[in-house]
Amino acid sequence: MYRIFFRVCLIIIATITLDPHIEATAQQPAAARAPSPPNARVFFIGLNDGATIPSKTKLRFGVENMEIVAAGVAKPNTGHHHLLIDTGLPPLDQPIPSDFNHIHFGGGQTETEITLPAGEHTLQLLFGDQAHTPHQPPVFSEVIHVKVDPVTVEKTRTPAPAGASVFLIEPADGATVARKVTVKFGLSGMELSPAGTNKPNSGHHHLLIDTPLPAFDREIPSDLNHVHFGRAQTETEVTLTPGDHTLQLLLGDHEHLPHDPPIFSKVIRIHVADSPAEKAPPAAAAAAGRRPAPPDAAVYFIYPSNGERIYPNSTIRFGLRGMGVAPAGVVKPNTGHHHLLIDVETPPLDQPLPSDLSHIHFGNGQTEKKITLSPGEHTLQLILADEKHTPHDPPVISERIKVTVKVKPVRKRHRR
Amino acid sequence: MIMQRRPFAKAGSSMILMVGLALALTALHIAPASAEPTSSAAGAVVYFHSPLDGARVPQRFTVKIGLKEMGVAPAGVVKEFTGHHHLLIDTDMVPLDQPIPSDYNHIHLGNGQTETVLTLPAGTHTLQLLLGDHLHVPHKPPVMSKKITIYVR
Repeated sequence: MYRIFFRVCLIIIATITLDPHIEATAQQPAAARAPSPPNARVFFIGLNDGATIPSKTKLRFGVENMEIVAAGVAKPNTGHHHLLIDTGLPPLDQPIPSDFNHIHFGGGQTETEITLPAGEHTLQLLFGDQAHTPHQPPVFSEVIHVKVDPVTVEKTRTPAPAGASVFLIEPADGATVARKVTVKFGLSGMELSPAGTNKPNSGHHHLLIDTPLPAFDREIPSDLNHVHFGRAQTETEVTLTPGDHTLQLLLGDHEHLPHDPPIFSKVIRIHVADSPAEKAPPAAAAAAGRRPAPPDAAVYFIYPSNGERIYPNSTIRFGLRGMGVAPAGVVKPNTGHHHLLIDVETPPLDQPLPSDLSHIHFGNGQTEKKITLSPGEHTLQLILADEKHTPHDPPVISERIKVTVKVKPVRKRHRR
Repeated sequence: MIMQRRPFAKAGSSMILMVGLALALTALHIAPASAEPTSSAAGAVVYFHSPLDGARVPQRFTVKIGLKEMGVAPAGVVKEFTGHHHLLIDTDMVPLDQPIPSDYNHIHLGNGQTETVLTLPAGTHTLQLLLGDHLHVPHKPPVMSKKITIYVR
């Protein structure tokens, strides 16, 4: 009996003391905190820890053993929700801050819709009294970890103006062309800008060779069938195999994402002739000159790396970016085979690479090789070369790395 | 401004189906299933340099492929003990006596590439490598990697 009376007194006192303090809370942050019943709790309804949620989510808040009233209403055992996003609990003896991480529901709301970026986030509820101060003891929910599915994040496709179009100026639809084709791109109603430059009503060309249109809601792939012209080029030269091919243009924005609506040309069909007269010039040119390599092609060591200490018997692994591997003798654009140079200077790049113990050819298209090296320091270098072992133009060549071959651990002391 | 967008999965799956069907048909035309399987070299192994099993990777990442005891040749090139890589994404092993399908789940590296850049949605994915001969048919015995699981963040 006495305890209940005491508690009622306390609440009355608290209410009386707090009432005139509503205005003064800012000056007196340490004002008395409203008491909460011991079994009070707040929680998220229908949201479990570790859940994966869409970017735009409706959250519902529950409370037990307390009542919800709007902020500013002084009534025992009441309060309103605060949603803490990606933040820990604030100081519990002061009013809860109000910002993007601390969302107040001072109208007594019990649900809300939030939009979160892709990734992992934490959510927590904290009950506050009429002055937004947590109760004594504080009433808060457990921290809920959620993961936002990036698929649901609405990636903003850059809008395209009405009437904008891309088209192929050259070659014409149905044309019969030589293997080396000059393709010219046209654009009307928009401007060209390099990839990475976010400028309204602009984009850069992507040439689709022998492939249907990619999905419009993600980046245009970058491969041999989807050629990017990220420097806002308006023409290119492609080498095609004899036969029928299709060409199509698709404009992409600064992030290589098609516009909304997508701007693409109609598909044109061309026939690449295979007459001996046309075959002869490239062969002659190849004998004299070097095969072209794409500008972003690179050859490098996956293992070992520069300065590494290796065993005398080590497998050297070759990496190749932006080109493909083809055995020696195979003529195919953007391919070549590896050559490993051991302890020699870079040879002249305009003639076939020598073949000896210091210049190892991988004419079968190998991409790794176990070699035996003497103890001490060695240099290794990779060069890609065409079907006739001649480096490309520009040459696709790795840095010359230094490795140290470990002397095998000899345990003479223990072998006496 | 409210943008109407179809959910990713819907747009994706119909596309995959169409591309898959089209390519499966072309592949069947080129190589009847009765073709003699190409034999692989003894001890041939295909494996991932990166990512490794269980790795956490960003959404855009490079897959680097290693091949032991055999060589890489572009599709269409007939040469003993060579083949080209196929990257199987989120899919089970394909029938080994038929050309490997070509779609979003079966990436052909037909120009003899030994690495490729993938963009995958966040979440758990599986990757597996399978070498195919000049007709995209797996060798006999097949040269395949183990299926690895990666976590895209």
